[in-house]
Amino acid sequence: MSAPGFASIQRRIAATLRAPGPLHTLLIIVAASMAIIGGWCEAIQIRRGMVVSGLNRPVGWAVYITDFVFWVGIAHSGTLISAVLFLLRARFRTAVYRVAEAMTVFGVMTAGLFPMIHLGRPWLAYWLFPYPNQRQLWVNFRSPLMWDVFAVSTYFIVSSIFLVVGIVPDAAALRDTTTGWRRRLYSIFAAGWRGTDEEWRHYLRAYLYFAAFATPLVFSVHSVVSWDFAVSILPGWHSTIFPPYFVAGAIFSGMAMVVTLLIPLRRAFHLQDVITPWHIDRLARVVLFTSLIVSYSYALEFILAARGGESAERSTLWYRAAGHYAPLFWTMIACNSIIPLSLFSRRMRGSTIGLLVVCLLVNVGMWLERFVILVTSLSHDRIPFDWRTYAVRPIEVGITLGSFGWFFFWFLLFVRLLPSVSIAEMKEEAVHEVTHV
Amino acid sequence: MGDEPHEGMSRRTFLQIAGAATAAGCTPARHAEKLVPYLVPPEHIVPGLPLFYRTACRACDAGCGVTARTREGRVIKLEGNPDDPIGRGALCARGQATLQALYAPDRWKGPMRRGGDGKLAAVSWDDAIAALASTLDDERKKGGRGIRMITRGESGSAGAVQKSVLAAFGAGPAQRLVLDPLDAPAIRAASKALYGKDEMPVFDLGAARSVVAFGADFAETWLSPVEMSRQLAAGRGRVGDDRTRFTWVAPRLAMTASSADDWLACRAGGELAIALGLLRWLTDPKNGVGDLAPEAHALAGRLGAITTAEVERRSGVPWARVAALGAELSRRRPSVVLGPGIASAGAAATPLAAAIALANHVLGNVGRTVLYGLDAQPDPPSPLGQLRSLVEEMRAGQVRVLLVGHADPAATMPAELRFGEALAKVPMVVTFNALPDGISERAHLVLPDNHSLESFGDLAPRKGVTLLEQPTMTPLADTRSASQVLLDVAAKVGLPEAKLPTDYYEFVQGRGADEAKRIGAADPAAAQRLASEHGGYFSPAAPTTVTLSAGAAEGFLALGAAPSPTEGAFDLVVFPTALRGAGGIDLPWLREVPDGITTINWTGWAEISPATAKLLGVASGDVVAITTPAGRVELPAYVWPGVRDDAVAVPLGGPEAPTLLPFTVDPVSGGLAWRSTSAKLTSAGRRVELPILGPNADEHGREIVRTVSRAHPSLPHPPPPPSMYPAPEYPKHRWAMAIDLDRCTGCQACVVACYAENNVPVMGPEATVRGRNMGWLRIERYFSVGKDGARVDTMPMLCQHCESAPCEPVCPVYATYHTGEGLNAQVYNRCVGTRYCSNNCPYKVRVFNWRDPEFPAPLNLQLNPDVTVRSKGVMEKCTFCVQRIRYAENLARDEGRPVADGEIVPACAQTCPGQAIVFGDAHDPASRVSVLARDGRGYAVLDELNTQPAITYLARVRDDERPEGGEKQPPAPEAPRGPKAGGR
Repeated sequence: MSAPGFASIQRRIAATLRAPGPLHTLLIIVAASMAIIGGWCEAIQIRRGMVVSGLNRPVGWAVYITDFVFWVGIAHSGTLISAVLFLLRARFRTAVYRVAEAMTVFGVMTAGLFPMIHLGRPWLAYWLFPYPNQRQLWVNFRSPLMWDVFAVSTYFIVSSIFLVVGIVPDAAALRDTTTGWRRRLYSIFAAGWRGTDEEWRHYLRAYLYFAAFATPLVFSVHSVVSWDFAVSILPGWHSTIFPPYFVAGAIFSGMAMVVTLLIPLRRAFHLQDVITPWHIDRLARVVLFTSLIVSYSYALEFILAARGGESAERSTLWYRAAGHYAPLFWTMIACNSIIPLSLFSRRMRGSTIGLLVVCLLVNVGMWLERFVILVTSLSHDRIPFDWRTYAVRPIEVGITLGSFGWFFFWFLLFVRLLPSVSIAEMKEEAVHEVTHV
Repeated sequence: MGDEPHEGMSRRTFLQIAGAATAAGCTPARHAEKLVPYLVPPEHIVPGLPLFYRTACRACDAGCGVTARTREGRVIKLEGNPDDPIGRGALCARGQATLQALYAPDRWKGPMRRGGDGKLAAVSWDDAIAALASTLDDERKKGGRGIRMITRGESGSAGAVQKSVLAAFGAGPAQRLVLDPLDAPAIRAASKALYGKDEMPVFDLGAARSVVAFGADFAETWLSPVEMSRQLAAGRGRVGDDRTRFTWVAPRLAMTASSADDWLACRAGGELAIALGLLRWLTDPKNGVGDLAPEAHALAGRLGAITTAEVERRSGVPWARVAALGAELSRRRPSVVLGPGIASAGAAATPLAAAIALANHVLGNVGRTVLYGLDAQPDPPSPLGQLRSLVEEMRAGQVRVLLVGHADPAATMPAELRFGEALAKVPMVVTFNALPDGISERAHLVLPDNHSLESFGDLAPRKGVTLLEQPTMTPLADTRSASQVLLDVAAKVGLPEAKLPTDYYEFVQGRGADEAKRIGAADPAAAQRLASEHGGYFSPAAPTTVTLSAGAAEGFLALGAAPSPTEGAFDLVVFPTALRGAGGIDLPWLREVPDGITTINWTGWAEISPATAKLLGVASGDVVAITTPAGRVELPAYVWPGVRDDAVAVPLGGPEAPTLLPFTVDPVSGGLAWRSTSAKLTSAGRRVELPILGPNADEHGREIVRTVSRAHPSLPHPPPPPSMYPAPEYPKHRWAMAIDLDRCTGCQACVVACYAENNVPVMGPEATVRGRNMGWLRIERYFSVGKDGARVDTMPMLCQHCESAPCEPVCPVYATYHTGEGLNAQVYNRCVGTRYCSNNCPYKVRVFNWRDPEFPAPLNLQLNPDVTVRSKGVMEKCTFCVQRIRYAENLARDEGRPVADGEIVPACAQTCPGQAIVFGDAHDPASRVSVLARDGRGYAVLDELNTQPAITYLARVRDDERPEGGEKQPPAPEAPRGPKAGGR
C-alpha cells in the first residue's frame, strides 16, 4: 500500500468538515429532539417526584443507574485507545483515537447527568460537592457515591483536556486553510500553534505526560463505579471481582461503541482508506478479547457464589439466571459472550456489516448486563418478605432515549466541526510507513 | 452617583427591579401561611405541650378506655387508658383509627334536609329539630306505632335517652332495634339455655394453660380483642409447661390463629362435630379423665351415641387429633374453650356454643377462666329476626319514621335483605350517622352526631366498669350530640308527663353521681372528679356461680341432620379482620395498613388453597367469580395453605361478603348465620394487580423468624465476631428494643399507632401495587406447611437501629448517621434522595417519599406537630419515636430526676395489646429491655451480617408436643435451630 501524501491526508480529513448534508442535518434534529423529550421527561419527574419511575422498595436503583454505568462504560475506550495504546505504541489507534476520545467526552457528559437525574431531590445535587459553607456541612468520604463524584469529574476534566490538546495541531492546520467563523473557531482550538520544532517538542512531551496521567484513570474510574455495588452488602453486588470485571466490561462496551460509530462514519465520510480494514480488524480483536474477559467474569461470579459460603448470594445468582429476569440475563449472555465469539472468524472481522451488527448487540448486551446486576440483586435481597420485581416506566424510557439523543447530538456536531481523525498523527503515520517500508 | 439625570432606567433602579423580580420568582407561591398567636391563651393549653383526656373507645362493644393526646386544642392520637381494666393502656388498630372518623373530610358539616328537588340541603338545627319534632308528634298522636329506631348498642346514658324519648312518643322497646353485626348472640343463647342466664361470659385466657378457639378471632374482633390478646400473651410469657398452648379449630387460619400451636382444619360447619367429639372423649370413662365436673357423667350416655366415624366424616379431622386435644385439655387445667367466632357461626351456632360451654363446664373452667355474672350489657343486640320483620314492615309502609343511629344495615347485613329498597318506602328517614352512607342516600333528615371525642357520654361494658366519654375538643363542624337532639325534639313537642331531662350533659353527670354513690364512694363529688380524670368508675366485681341445668344440656348433645353434600361446591367462609371489622366504615389508616395474613390493602380478596387454585388454574391476583344462591361477586384470589381445600374464604368489610351471604338466622339465638352456604368458584379469566405489601410469604429457609421448641427454649449464641473498629461510645443511653415473637399476634395495632404518631402518609392502593407503601413498621408473615397443615409466623419489622448500620457509610451527604444514644438518625433536610441507604439496608426498612404526601383537610389537623411532614424525594424511617424519647427526657429533667425504665414508650410498644414490644436503655443492665436481650430466645435478624441491631427478637416457641390418648409423652428432642453456615 502506498502511503498517501500529506496533502491528500489533510484534504481527505478536512473534507469531513463541510457543512452538513440533509441527512446529517436530519440526524442532528432527531438527536436534539430526543434530548429535548428526555429533558421534558426529567422535568415531569422533578415536578411529580420519583413516583413517575418504576422504582420501588426494594428496587431503589434501576434504569438511571444502568444508564449511568453504561455511559461511563462507553466513555472508557476513548482513554484506553488514546492513552494506553499510545503508551504501548499500538499503531492501529492512530486512525480511530479521535473518534474514541470524542465519544469519551460526550459519554462522560451523558453519564454525569444520571447521578443527578436519579436523585430524589436533584435540585440539591450540588450538596454532593464538598464546598465550604456557613452551615459547616460536609460530605461523607466513606460513601462510594462520593468517590463517584470525584472519579467522574476527574475523568471528565482529564479526557476533555486530552481531547483538546490532541486537536491543537489539527486545528492549527485547519485554521490556516479556512475562513470565516470556522477560522475563528479553529484559532481558539489551535491556541496559537505555529508548528515550530520547539512547540512540537513540548507538545509531544505534554501529550506523553497526559497519556501517562490518563492511563490510571482507565482502570480507576470504572473500578470506583463498580465500588458503588461492591462496597454494599447486597448479595449479587458485594463481590471482590467487580472492579476488574467492570473495567473489562467498560472497555468491551466502549470498543463496541467505537466500532458502532466508526463503521457508519468512515462510510459517510469516505474515509475507507484512512480508517482501513486493518484498523477495524484490530478493534474487533480487542472487542473479542474483552468479551472473553467478561465471559470469564460471568462464570467466575457464579462459581464464587456456588463455592462461597453465603446462601443468599447463591439464591440471588440463581434468581438472576432462572427468575423473573432470566430472559434478560440470557439475552445478555448471548450478546456479550456467545455472539462475539464469531469474531474469531477472520471473515466476520472483515465484514463491516457483520461487525456492526455484533457491536450493536454488544452494546445492547452491556446495557442489559448493568440492568441485570442492579435489578436482580435488589429485587431479591435478604428479607424474602420484601422481594418485588421492577418494571420500567415510560418516563424512564424517555430519559434513557433522551440520553442517547444528547450523546449523538454532540457527536454529530463534533464530526462536522472538528477533524474526527487526527491529521497530524496520520501524517506522522505516513512518514512512518514511508521510512520503514 | 445620580447627579445627572438619566435617560430611561438608572442602574440603581434596574438593580432594584431585577432584585425584586428575582425575589418574586424565587418565592414559592403556595406558602402563604399565617402564624396566629394566642392573644388570650386558653387555660391548660401550653403551646408545645400535649394535654391528655380520658375517654372511651366506640369502635366496637368491648369498651376499652382511651387516652386522647391533644395539642393546641386538636386530638392527635388515641392511646389506651392504663387505668381501664379491659384495655389496660392498649388500643387496637380500629380503636386508634376512630380518630380519622373525627377528621374525615367527607363528614357531614351540619344538619341536612332533603328538599323538594330530592337533594339534601343544609338546614339550621332549629328547623331540623322542628321538622323531626312535628313528624314524631304526628306519629305520637297516632299511637307511636309507626316509629322505629335502629342503633348500635348504647350501654350508657345514650341508650337510656333513646329508650325514654321513644317511649315518650309512644314507641315501645320492641320498636328500637339494636344492631351489632359482629355480636355473638349464640353464646348468650347457650348461657340462657344451660345456666338460665342470658348473658355473655367473660373469659380469662391469662389463667388458662390451654386455649382452644372454635373460629373465635379473639385477637381481631371477637368480644374483647385487646383484653384477650393481652391475656394470651401473659400465658405466652410463662416458660416451660405453663406456657399457654393454643389450638385453633376452623376451616381457615385466621390472623389470630397465627399464634396457634395447633390447627384442626375442620370442614366449615364441622366445628360442632369436633366440639361434641371432644366432649365425648372427655366424658368417656374409658379415657379415665379425672376431676371432671359432676354433671359430666350424666352427659356421657348421650355423647356415647356419637360415633368417632361420624365426627371424622362431619369434620374432616382424624379422630386421633380430637382425642389428642381431649387428652391435652384433660391434663392441662385450667383451660378455656372459646367460640364460636363469626367464621364458625352457622345456623347451628347455638348448639356449638352450648357444646363449647359444656366442654368448659366439664373441665371445671367455669369460675376460673369462664366467668359468669360480669356481663352488664343493658342494651344487648336484638335478634336479627326483628330486622327481617322491620324490613317487611318498612316495605309494607307500616314504618313512617325510621331513626338510624350509628348503624348501617345496608352495608353490614346481607344484601338479600334489600334494606336499601325498603328504606325508600319509609316517608321519614332520619340518620344520626356522621358520614355519608347508604342510609343518608335515602334519608330525609341528616342530623350528624358528634364524634365520641367531641361529646359527653358513658358506657357500661361490664360489671364494675363504667367508662366516661369526655369531649377532647370542640366539635369541628356544626354537629350535635344525638342524645341532646332527641331530648330537644321531645322538649320542642313538650311532653311533661314523660319527665325527660332537658340537658344531656346534666343527665350524664347525674348518672355519674349515681354510679359514684353505688360504688360506695365516701365523697361522691370527689369520686366523680377522679372518675373524669381516670376515664371512668372502676370497681371490683365478682363473678357469680352458675348451675348447669342437666336437662337442657341433654338437648344439645346430638349432631343434628347431616348437611347434604353439594357436588363441586366450596364452603363459603366469611371472616372479620382486625382492620376491616364488620365494614360500613372507610377510614384511610384501616384501608392503607395491610391485612395481617395476606398483606393486601384497599381491596377485598378471596382466599383459596393451593389445591383449589390448581383446580381452577388461577394464581394470586387472578380474579375468581364466587356464586352463591344469594349473589355473585368477583374477587382477586389469594392463594395460601391456610384454607381448607373445600373452602373459599372472603373477608367482611366490603360489599362482597354481604352480597354472597343469604339472610339466614340461627333460629335459637337470632344471630346471623355467617356460615350457611356453599359457593361455586370459577376463574373469571382476568387478572388484577393486587395491592399487596409482601407478595412473597416463603422464608426460603432463611430463618428470619426463628423458632425454639418448648422443651428447649433457647438459641445458640455464638460469640460476637472480632471487629477492626473501636466500639462506638454511648455516654448516656443506648436505646434498644426487644420484641417477643411469641407474644405477637400480628394484629397491626402497632402499625396504625406508627402511622398516627409519625405522620406517615396514606398513599393508596397503587402505591402498594408498585411497592411504595410508606409504613415505617410492617408485620412480616411467613407461611410454612408442617405435617398438620399450614403455619403462620409473624414478625414486626422496623428500623433495627444497627450499631454498624449499613445505611450510614453509604450516604454521601451524612443524611443518616448514628447518634450518641444509639439511634440511627435520618436528617430529612439533608437528604438528597440517592436511595443508596435503602439499597444497602438488609432489612429493607427505609421508606422513600416517591411523591409529596397528601393530608386532605381536615385530616391535616391530626398531624403530630412534633414530627416533620416529609416531602418528595426524601428517605425516612423509624426513629424509635425520638420525639417521645425527648418528651420523656424533658419531663424527667424538669422534675430533676433520671428517666425511669419504661417511661419512654414508642407508639408501637405503647399500643401493643400483647406487650410484645419493650423499649429501654441497653446501658442499664436492670432495664426490662436488657433483661429480655439476655434471654435465651434472643437473636438478631440476619446476625450473620454483624450489623449489631438494637432490636433483639425473642424467638417464637414451637409447641409440637401432642400427647396421644392421654398419656404424657416425652417431648420430642428437637435440635434448636440456630444460625448455621450454609444452612439457610
